[in-house]
Amino acid sequence: MPGNIIIEIRELVKIYKGSDEPAIKGITLDINRGEIFGLLGPNGAGKTTTISILCGLFNPTKGSARIDGMDIRSNHDAIKRIIGVVPQDVALYPTLTAWENLTFFGNMYGLRGRILREKIAEGFSVFGLEKHADKKISNCSGGIKRRVNLIAGLLHDPKVIFLDEPTVGIDVQSRVVILDYLNELNRKGTTVIYTSHYMEEAEKLCTRVAIIDRGNVISMGNPRELLAEHPEFKDLENIFLHLTGKDLRD
Amino acid sequence: MFRFFSACRKESLILVRDLAGLIILFIMPMIMVVILALVQEQGWTSITKDPSIPVLLVDEDQDTLGAKIENGLRTSNIFKICKAIDGKKLTREIAKEKVGKGEYNIGVIIPKGSTGIIRHKVQVMVTQIVSGIMMPVDNPFLDIQSTDSINILVYFDPGIKGTFKYAFMATMKEYSMFIESSMIFSSFNTELKKMFPQYKPPKMDYKETVYFSEIFPAGKDELAIPSTTQHNVPAWALFAMFFIVIPMSSSMIKEREEGSMIRIYTMPVSYLTIFMSKVAVYAVVCVIQFILMMLAGRFLLPLAGIAPLTIGSNYLGILLMMIVSSMAALGFAIAVGTIARTHQQAAAFGSVSVVVLTALGGLWVPVYLMPQVMRDIATWSPLNWAHVGFIDLFLRQATIMDIFPQLLKLLVFFAITISIALFYRRVKSPLNN
Repeated sequence: MPGNIIIEIRELVKIYKGSDEPAIKGITLDINRGEIFGLLGPNGAGKTTTISILCGLFNPTKGSARIDGMDIRSNHDAIKRIIGVVPQDVALYPTLTAWENLTFFGNMYGLRGRILREKIAEGFSVFGLEKHADKKISNCSGGIKRRVNLIAGLLHDPKVIFLDEPTVGIDVQSRVVILDYLNELNRKGTTVIYTSHYMEEAEKLCTRVAIIDRGNVISMGNPRELLAEHPEFKDLENIFLHLTGKDLRD
Repeated sequence: MFRFFSACRKESLILVRDLAGLIILFIMPMIMVVILALVQEQGWTSITKDPSIPVLLVDEDQDTLGAKIENGLRTSNIFKICKAIDGKKLTREIAKEKVGKGEYNIGVIIPKGSTGIIRHKVQVMVTQIVSGIMMPVDNPFLDIQSTDSINILVYFDPGIKGTFKYAFMATMKEYSMFIESSMIFSSFNTELKKMFPQYKPPKMDYKETVYFSEIFPAGKDELAIPSTTQHNVPAWALFAMFFIVIPMSSSMIKEREEGSMIRIYTMPVSYLTIFMSKVAVYAVVCVIQFILMMLAGRFLLPLAGIAPLTIGSNYLGILLMMIVSSMAALGFAIAVGTIARTHQQAAAFGSVSVVVLTALGGLWVPVYLMPQVMRDIATWSPLNWAHVGFIDLFLRQATIMDIFPQLLKLLVFFAITISIALFYRRVKSPLNN
């Protein structure tokens, strides 16, 4: 069902300048519209590189990728309008307030006036940030920063959202709110591409996952299907460890 | 366009929130301008008002030359003559030792018999002339050539500035020429008296006949007098303006380090829009900074007894020159901020390059005092273009057409630096890594 595919990745290779070893070695996968797709893998597996290529931050060395039918090499601007990105690190201006940060990033997506104000207010309401709107980011806790960081990538109702480990370093309450909201967005038809080290979280949230290691996709499918394929393991984490090994990674 | 204005608003908020940084941006350059103008202007004024540079004078001649040189140095109002130290009369050995040790800057030794040598030389010359008139043919006197010369020794402290040394030597040569001329005049009278006993020498001393009037044509009625204020205030204001490279490149690197620039790269907005917003906001900062320094030159410096800054009457030209100079400074800052990877790189390269451009641009030492090679290089410094433009506006009553070459050069510099930044961004973009 090609019309249902929103992201199409073919033989994607990335070799960073000055490095002999490819960060990703010919990844091929399709992501369907309306999926919550998890990219799982140990450190240095190639998750962030894959997402960065899809977001237009890096060009691939070889291979191709299309988002909503548009080639990522030749349609940077058009693709940037339909994607939302939530980077791994908090990417906000520390001396601006939460509201000012979101206003600026909303403007950069082309939003303004009442529509933007409503979108920001909605984000604050969903994530319980109303009373922190006028607080400078530098004075906010890690959890608040993460939530504002998330809202900044969602203001323009993107068709596809890329989240790079959005729940790292936050408390359980914040994590639950974020994951619930991602489910809510997904129900409205947004495709979510998500990387995480938390297997339990991915197992609950994702409709499909791809386990990546050393630049290759080593397993892909619905978490339940993966568990069925490996009946000797009781959960995704054990499957993950079985596939990727227990060696410590850089 | 609203993305640009939104980015400008963001930049302004970040700037205003950094109150300490803002104070440094505005107050420090003002302090710098006032102090440097004071050091340069007041330093020389105090020297001329209160002679304080000691000169060791050993007058072995004890005749006219020694007396004239001593009198000349004394009346210059710059030098304080020392002929004895701790009650002990100076000798050439002591003078050499004291200057060599750096205890004194200058030592002058007028050798014994100096005046006699001049007198003899002049006498030979006058005799030749007079006898030549009386006996133009077969006159043995005409073939005599006097090879006598005097060697006045001047010891200089090795640490003394070259320009000061040259000025002192020029003054000394002026005195000796004046003395020689006076002696020629007096010898002529003596010889004429010998030949014509009825000759009565005129009762007048040898006087200079050539005088110099200092006029500074401004092109209009108003006469603007060049002063260190006129040189220093725009010079250091421009220096401070170009120092914007440090905060601005630092803000760009910070934006990259904080990750907000990575987020912007994933948004439908061009890099040009983002950094032009920085240019717009920081240009306002530069213009305010420059105006504050002009005000300091106009109103603060006179409080310290220094001539106030004259800015002429072409206010539109001044505004244009301020904006275009700011753009040149900001283009440079954008290029440094784009190319530098760390704060340390930006700070080290930015500050050193601005100091070099300042020196090359003739802001420390006027271009006309530089050797030809440096003069040629100076014409390539954007700080020189801006400084020349301001000096033209302040002192020469220049019109906008007069400063057009400077404006154009600064705009081209801005375009080149911005292009370098864009090119580097494209080549070194993560997209190509």
